[in-house]
Amino acid sequence: MSGNAGERKLLLGNEAIARGALEAGISAAAAYPGTPSTEIIESLVDVAGEYGIYVEWSTNEKVALELGIGVSMMGLRSLVAMKHVGLNVASDPLMSLGYTGVIGGLVIVTADDPNAHSSQNEQDNRLYGIHANIPVFEPSTVQEAKDLTKALFEVSEKFQLSVILRTTTRLSHSRSPVVFGEVTRPSRDASFHKNPERWALLPPYNLVKHREVLERLKKLEEYLSEFRFNSVVKGEDNVAVVTSGITYNYVLEAVEELGVKPTIYKLSSVFPLPRKIALEILNYEKVIVVEELEPVIEWQLKIIGYEEKTGAEIYGKTVFPRVGELNKELAKAGIAAVTGIEYKPPEAALSPPGLPRRPPVLCPGCGHRSTYYAVKLAAQRARVKPIYANDIGCYTLGFYPPYEMADFTWSMGSSIGIGLGIARFSKEPVIAFIGDSTFYHAGIPALINAVYNKTPLLVIVMDNSITAMTGHQPHPGSGVGPSGESRPQIKIEDVARAVGVKFVEVVDAYDVTIVRDTVQRALRYIKETGEVAVIVSRRPCALLDVRNRRRRGEEIRPYIIDEAKCINCGICLDKFACPAIVRENSGKPRILAELCVGCGVCASICPAKAIRPAMG
Amino acid sequence: MARKSIVVAGVGGQGLITIGGVLGEALSEKGFNVSVGEVHGLSQRGGSVVVFLKYGDGSVSPIVTTGEADLIIGLELIEAARRLQLARKGGFVIVNDFLLPPPAAGKVPSREELLKSIRGSGLNDFVIDANGLALKAGSEIAVNMVMIGASLATRVIDVSVEDIERILTRRFKGELLRINLEALKLGYEEVEKKRYSSQVK
Repeated sequence: MSGNAGERKLLLGNEAIARGALEAGISAAAAYPGTPSTEIIESLVDVAGEYGIYVEWSTNEKVALELGIGVSMMGLRSLVAMKHVGLNVASDPLMSLGYTGVIGGLVIVTADDPNAHSSQNEQDNRLYGIHANIPVFEPSTVQEAKDLTKALFEVSEKFQLSVILRTTTRLSHSRSPVVFGEVTRPSRDASFHKNPERWALLPPYNLVKHREVLERLKKLEEYLSEFRFNSVVKGEDNVAVVTSGITYNYVLEAVEELGVKPTIYKLSSVFPLPRKIALEILNYEKVIVVEELEPVIEWQLKIIGYEEKTGAEIYGKTVFPRVGELNKELAKAGIAAVTGIEYKPPEAALSPPGLPRRPPVLCPGCGHRSTYYAVKLAAQRARVKPIYANDIGCYTLGFYPPYEMADFTWSMGSSIGIGLGIARFSKEPVIAFIGDSTFYHAGIPALINAVYNKTPLLVIVMDNSITAMTGHQPHPGSGVGPSGESRPQIKIEDVARAVGVKFVEVVDAYDVTIVRDTVQRALRYIKETGEVAVIVSRRPCALLDVRNRRRRGEEIRPYIIDEAKCINCGICLDKFACPAIVRENSGKPRILAELCVGCGVCASICPAKAIRPAMG
Repeated sequence: MARKSIVVAGVGGQGLITIGGVLGEALSEKGFNVSVGEVHGLSQRGGSVVVFLKYGDGSVSPIVTTGEADLIIGLELIEAARRLQLARKGGFVIVNDFLLPPPAAGKVPSREELLKSIRGSGLNDFVIDANGLALKAGSEIAVNMVMIGASLATRVIDVSVEDIERILTRRFKGELLRINLEALKLGYEEVEKKRYSSQVK
């Protein structure tokens, strides 16, 4: 990421976005981690000191965007990044930002996830731009991700509008060579641009702002007809293919393999669509819009076509799927269908049928596993069939067998919120599992609600002291900042007590007996009092802990199973299901020394006491 | 030059992202347009991982589609078998002879069944004990370097062993570098040996 102008390096799409922001001379960057956006801010953390910029992991996306707005009011440039669903959390300030616009350039990166590879949905955030009156841009290559990001800071300031840069998983997580530009350092002093009539969204100023922003958008739309990131490659037929983002690459491969030569319009500014370019496109007899997810470009073209009474036939979602990602073959099939040429799927080798799925699993030594195991035991002892509310994080994997302890997962913090609605009317207890990072992000207001509105709910905070799922970013409970520097530690149990939860207990996630008994007591408590209980089940993330122990040169001593003692009950294999324990052909369990991290939880639950540490 | 596609398949933690990164860097230095598509997030926790690598003189997209790959590099038998359909007829497949059944999976095909389907896929197949060769080089962690070496011996990828050595020398140092270089060499020699013996027959 660091480097001089002219250097050519293989960069991840997300790193290219970060580099572009760096070259544009940002003063600050903020985000809440979320796949596929995380590496943008992560790579800026690495160079923050070198280039003298402020980079933070914020508690949630709303706070991150608000920080960016504040920096803009100081006349400085900033980048705010989030995954697509993060923009839902930030949508409240976003809608107002659409009215006020900015002083210092503000680029909001939304990393969308077509195909929902690692998300709860595949929402198309280009629609947020239309909704919020904020222009939306899409890069098509890794190089363009850098160059466009840099250029957007100029656009943002020129039109005093914040801008949305929309990337998708396939671009964010692709590596390609990128030629670096100069890192600029705009010489401007930070000063608060005091203007209450602009920044305080009160009547009648808000309607004035609404009118003004529409005018600025109109000017921007005219400017964008000459925007150098919108490009056209003239073809030979009376057919135009219109595309944007990563899909552009599928289109290029598709027309090459089909042997057709349509005119190809690559749009980087997808909202507002430059009318001049749209009219050029609508001059063609047939217009094929190839875009992932929602027909954002298609709709705009159809509206302009109707207003201008052009006769172009416009094809989009009638020939391309609206669900999931596109690829070269889907692009070929759609283009072939419209142009009337034959499309034959490629001949391929065959994968054998009946291969087992390989979903991700909780790591060996993960404290979430022992917590789930213990909670199950507690429910059995208490003779209840809890409704398991679950949340977003590594522990979501509790959905899979053998745990099956996620009756629903929704959005950040919803385990508590939705859990409240169920608990109000359920005869069976509701147990909400929520991670530490998710708790700070969106769990606290729901917990306060549970206390205030007196709802019987057991909240188990699965605390591994880090945002683990996205690659170990620190949060307010970690006690460290982005570069590992010391920071104040906000403890979950302190928060819970401070908001009035009376039953608050902290347990060691590895201690199955203690966790089980505490959960049983908490279940009794919520039944008897009708109030919320909080258990913090704590163990540092095993993945990180083992890495640190190895770095310190500590010996990691695996456990072994004494075959003579093993009664082959299957508990360690089928109920506890640690990936380090496998079934031998004989049917008996064996511990894989190379995977075992020596947590010893399996030994504590073995009824035959057949598991013990290997001799040193 | 026509576009070429390579698929790297395996299980999270086997160093697949590094294979994509090292090959991508080498191809980029040769002046090709390169795209290395990775999967992040959930898949890091021991799930299936696939890396798509495409390069050429023209446009390269980050997805390899059915029947497109010139070479499949499989670090585990089930994962290699899962991605066979991405290979074009007459393409190559290099497989690590290593079976890692998913935890808590029901019926898992046997090693023999998997090898049979790989050998019967109509691809040029090379099955090697990459884990063993990595251990021989000094560490099981170097299995990804063995696989890079092995894949270079197919001549499908337009980079040389020396190109990769140069990149490894930049990335690693000391004992780790020595192990990685040795693993690269052992992987290359293993496939080279098999190619030679199949020609002799």
